[in-house]
Formats: sequence, structure tokens, C-alpha cells
Amino acid sequence: MPKKVLVVGGGTGGTIVANNLAHRLHDKLVAGEVEITVLDPSPLHVYQPAYLLIPFGIMHRSEAIRSERSLLAETVRFRQEGATKIDLKNRTVQTASGNLGYDFLVLATGARPDYSQVPGLEKAGYDFYTLDNAYRLREALGRFGGGRLVTAVAGIPFKCPTAPIEFAFLADSYYSRLGLREKVQVDYVYPLPRPFTIQNVAEDVQTMMDGRKINVNLLFNIESVDPEKKELKSMEGETIKYDLAVLTPPHTGAEVVIKSGIAGKGGWIPTDRYSLRVNGYDDAYAIGDATDIPVSKAGSAADFEAAVVATNIWDSLNGFAPSLRYDGKVMCFIITSIGEATILLFDYEHPPKPPPSNFACYWYKLVYNRMYWSITAKGLLPGVGV
Amino acid sequence: MSENQQEKVKVIDARGSFCPGPLMELIRAVKESAVGDVIEIWSSDTGSQRDIPKWTEKAGHEFLGVIHEEGYDRIKVRKKR
Ligand SMILES: Cc1cc2nc3c(=O)[nH]c(=O)nc-3n(C[C@H](O)[C@H](O)[C@H](O)COP(=O)(O)OP(=O)(O)OC[C@H]3O[C@@H](n4cnc5c(N)ncnc54)[C@H](O)[C@@H]3O)c2cc1C
Repeated sequence: MPKKVLVVGGGTGGTIVANNLAHRLHDKLVAGEVEITVLDPSPLHVYQPAYLLIPFGIMHRSEAIRSERSLLAETVRFRQEGATKIDLKNRTVQTASGNLGYDFLVLATGARPDYSQVPGLEKAGYDFYTLDNAYRLREALGRFGGGRLVTAVAGIPFKCPTAPIEFAFLADSYYSRLGLREKVQVDYVYPLPRPFTIQNVAEDVQTMMDGRKINVNLLFNIESVDPEKKELKSMEGETIKYDLAVLTPPHTGAEVVIKSGIAGKGGWIPTDRYSLRVNGYDDAYAIGDATDIPVSKAGSAADFEAAVVATNIWDSLNGFAPSLRYDGKVMCFIITSIGEATILLFDYEHPPKPPPSNFACYWYKLVYNRMYWSITAKGLLPGVGV
Repeated sequence: MSENQQEKVKVIDARGSFCPGPLMELIRAVKESAVGDVIEIWSSDTGSQRDIPKWTEKAGHEFLGVIHEEGYDRIKVRKKR
């Protein structure tokens, strides 16, 4: 009987784990001693960071999508179907076509927007959390001739904690280039008492937003949105009027982990922050946006975590003790204008020390958008991702 | 969440969760509580002592104080509106 590695979710984290293991286990896979299977209902792999750049015309659909099969190593089996139930005690994953057993399970089912948490949110305006919505937003930004453009966060945590900040900076830059900035008021709305979770970065962001005349509205926890009156209402009793609202919806985990009783608070999988094992199990790991560990929901975190999990599964399959721990590493760019960016690199112990915004970081970010397909997703450089 | 009978106190154990976890959990609990309820949030993140009073003041709730325990704080808030 071959040893079976089952990966649920073929997004960033799942694809990197599968490919990286496939490179290391090539001979065993060919000899039929090990099997790696990836399950995902979608045949397409989407590079989600493109969603933020599409509205400004910086990236395009064709650069954001590949077929999942074409990304996976030939030795990895891809089943285009979703897990309908995950039974960790009995080591089985159910799909519409039957049950799959495993020796090692990797849950990489990601996060999804949950509009239902805020009344009025879905009809309120625009967001950049799906490919279609990114294109709708592109049209809306192009049509917007002036008024109050409000970008607001309607719930924490969400995918890519820097994205709303970047959106505000990009909007400033975009309308400045069009000569319309005088007519467009840009507002950034955030639930915390500072414009970002991490204190020192928040101070830099506040200074930059002040310098660019972006209004910062803090401690505004959106309770409801009134699409008719074009108003955001907060739990703190305030109202913000908008002409164009670009909202970051609250997020939750995949339906299957919630329905299978695996998810804890918020729909996130209780995961050991160092070993990345699902709490209470030594044969099930969770990575990426799906976990409850206290790091950003970012592709780079999924990449660093995938490297740890692939190594530790390889160790176990070869009779060694797991040799890596995840140290909480995350790497995030903050695009601060069309043409400049800074970079945050941090872990559980070390807060980020971002350099001043510069062209080189921006350029690298654009290059990385292409490298994702040929290097990161292929699992060739695990742990060096963005 | 557990309830203490003498005064209606909801205890939320947010220890081990980091900024902004405890504040967001408090906000959620306030949303789900009735006016007059007291919510006690346990946090091991030192940032909570700074963030929670700022939020309660702005949101019009009453900050009842902090009790320091070993390795965590018990922060009490009354929902006022
Ligand atoms: C606008 C935006 C900008 C971003 N920018 C950046 C950035 O600049 N840098 C960065 O590092 N990150 C960025 N991210 C975040 C990054 O895209 C995610 O953190 C990353 O994709 C997480 O990887 P994952 O594998 O955990 O989840 P995903 O890549 O989302 O994959 C989850 C997969 O699970 C599958 N799935 C769900 N349910 C099931 C089921 N029942 N059975 C089987 N499969 C299932 C889904 O179909 C999906 O393919 C951005 C995200 C957004 C939305």
C-alpha cells in the first residue's frame, strides 16, 4: 500500500506543499510507494494579489489565472472536486464521488468573504475580493469623475491586511495621474485606533496618508451599510457618507471545515502555531488563510508554512522526526503609489522595519507577480514567497 | 463564555490571541449583549490595555478598569447604549 498524502485545497498553500513534496519524493512517487493527491472544486488557480491591481489597470485577467493541473507536478494527482466532509478521527475525507483515506492530511482551504455579517454590505458598492468584482471596480473607478471615495474595512481578519491601505494609496496616485485628484476625496476607514494592526507600521502609514491628503477615520466598526442613502454606519454611532464605497468584507473559513466541526471561532482551524498541526492530531496539518494562528492571511505566510509542512511530512515518510518549526514569518509589500512600494518582513519575535518607499520594491513586486507562476507555485523555492 | 450570577458578567477568554484579537472579540461581545451587561475580557496582549479604553470611550460604553493577573489582564466594560 502506498503512503497517502492528501491536500485539501489547491490554492497557494496546497499547490506549493504538493509540488515541493513531489520534487523531493519523485522516485517514490514513480515507484508507487507514495501518492500525493490535491482536491479542489475549481480547475483554475487564481493569483489573488492581482485583484488589487486589476482595478488600476496594472494587472490583467490573463496574468491572474492558470489551470491547476498545469501548475502541479505530473506525479501529483489532481481531483477536481471539493471535500464535503473531513473526519480527522477516522482519517477520511468525503467527496461527491466517494471517501479518500490518508496517512498525512494538509488542510489548505483558505478564507472567503462573508458579506452576510454586515447588513447592506453586499449591495453597498465595490470590492476587490473576487476577479469579477475587481473588474466591476475597474469600470467604476474609470467612470468616477469626482466625489467622496471611501475605502473601508468591515471586519478583521481579512485576506492581505495591507490591501485596503494600498488601495487608498493607489487611488490617490491613479486620480493624481488623471489630473482629477482635486475632485476626488479619498477616505480610509478602519476599525482599530490606528490605521494598521502593527504599531510602528501604523505610524508610518498615518504619516504617509496625512502627506497625501487621505482622510483617516479610525475606530469605525461598520454595523450596517445603507446603499440607498450611501452611508456607512458604525457601532460607535457615527455615519460616513460616500459617493463610491470600496469595502473589505469580513472573512470566514471554508464551509467544509465549519460543517465538519473542525473550525473554531470565526471559522478558522485551531492550529499549533509552530508545528502547524491541527490541534490534537499528529497526521493533519493546516496552512495558509484557513488557520487560526496569529499571522497575516497572506500568500507569503502560506508559502513559508508550506515549506515547513512539506519538510516535516518528508521527514515522517522517511522515518525521521519532523525537523522544522514555523517561526511566524510573513513578507508583505505595501504599494504606496503607482511606482513605489515598501516591504514588511516579520515573524513572531521580530516586528517589521520597513524601508522608505522606493521604486526598487515596486519593481520587484511587479516582477514577483510573474515569478509566482514559474517559481513559487511550482514549489521550487519554498519559503521565499510574497 | 460563562456567566456570573450576582452581576451579569460575560467572561471572554481571549488569552493567547494577539492584537487586534481581544479588541475585536470585545466588540463582537458588546454587539451581542444587552445594555447594562458587563463584559470581562481576558487578554495576554499588552496592547489591549491601550486599545480597549480608547474604543469604549469612543463607542460610548463604560470602562470599568483592569485587574492584573499573572500573565494576563482582566478588562471590564459595561455596555451603555
Ligand atoms: C486583493 C488581495 C490581494 C492580496 N495580496 C497579497 C499580497 O500582495 N501578498 C500576499 O502574500 N498575499 C496576498 N493576498 C493573499 C493571498 O492571496 C492568500 O493569503 C493566499 O492565497 C492564501 O493561500 P491559501 O492556500 O491559504 O488559500 P487560497 O489560495 O485561497 O486557496 C484555497 C483553496 O481551497 C479551495 N477549497 C475551498 N473549499 C474547498 C473544499 N471543500 N474542498 C477542496 N478545496 C476547497 C479553494 O477552491 C481554493 O482553491 C491577497 C489576497 C487578496 C484577496
